[in-house]
Amino acid sequence: MKDVNKMILKKSKFGQEEMIGFGLIIVLVAVILLVFLAFSLRNPVKENVESYEIEGFISALLQHTTDCGNYRTFHLSIRELIIDCGQGEVCLDNRDTCEVLNSTLSGILEQGWKISGNRPIKGYQLKILRNDVVDQVIQKGNVTTSYKSHMQDLGKSSTQVLFTAYY
Amino acid sequence: MQAMVNKMRGKKGQLKTKKTGSFLAFNCLKSKKAQLKIQQMAFMLMAVTLFFALVGMFVLAIKFSGLKETAATLCEENAMMLVTKLANSPEFSCGEAFDGETNCIDGDKIMMLKENIDAYEDFWGASNIEIRKIYPAEAEKVCDIGTYQGGDCNTIRLISKNVSGFDDKYNFVSLCRKEYIDGDMYDKCEIARLSVRYNYNERC
Repeated sequence: MKDVNKMILKKSKFGQEEMIGFGLIIVLVAVILLVFLAFSLRNPVKENVESYEIEGFISALLQHTTDCGNYRTFHLSIRELIIDCGQGEVCLDNRDTCEVLNSTLSGILEQGWKISGNRPIKGYQLKILRNDVVDQVIQKGNVTTSYKSHMQDLGKSSTQVLFTAYY
Repeated sequence: MQAMVNKMRGKKGQLKTKKTGSFLAFNCLKSKKAQLKIQQMAFMLMAVTLFFALVGMFVLAIKFSGLKETAATLCEENAMMLVTKLANSPEFSCGEAFDGETNCIDGDKIMMLKENIDAYEDFWGASNIEIRKIYPAEAEKVCDIGTYQGGDCNTIRLISKNVSGFDDKYNFVSLCRKEYIDGDMYDKCEIARLSVRYNYNERC
């Protein structure tokens, strides 16, 4: 009888161990399921500004034709105007190329990146760098920690255009 | 002597019977335990199956509840992809006619495309494709062949179906055309916004 009791006790201990094991498996499975659920249910983050928008903007901006001309052409593009401004040239009608550049860029930026009201864009900054030194800056709105930017090299005179949109 | 031997035999027999009895009792107990164990296992299997079935149902319910939103997100992604590549597609791009830069749209090509849009209506799967000059800022004037030639418009509506519920996807492009001044031709490019809205019912 003693032997039987011993065996029952031993079996009971085995049962307890099995229960603990089963519990552990359940916990493990639950954790895996939770992780899986968290990943699958996570909503894709909607970006306020897409990278392609910034790239497209700089690309289109540089191709924009201005009303400033020189001996080569009656209408310079912004790309050509940036280079002419760096060389201190004037338009055919004696306007300063840098002034024309500044006013055209400000107008385009104002229309392209509206920051008033509840718009997602909080601010923007456009920098023209020559030989890694900032030559011109046009900035409006607030500078925030969330931003997207893109730099385009003009190839000539080590000139670069850097645009940053803050949201 | 014989009587003693008999007594001893009797006792041995009693002992044998006692031993066999406890063995049977143990076997019976073991058998009951095994039955209990099988029962326990069956219940456990049922519980595990039920647990996974419930979890599966829960996941499926959540997944299917967001199906419409997923479709809408896919539509938006399609529109986003379309808007990034549309400006550089052969039907839109400036090609060698202008400086051959990226994101450059040939206005003349677009106007011709607009005239024959019936053949292209379902080509991109978009419900709306619109190009609007953003600078200088002017009130909206939709282009037709006459106003485009006179330069008296700022919006080209290529495809315009009334579909609501989706935000347009934008990209900046350069809308170029050939202009004449005193007989001299030059390239006039203006910054514009290309907007695309995807047709949810047809493609997504």
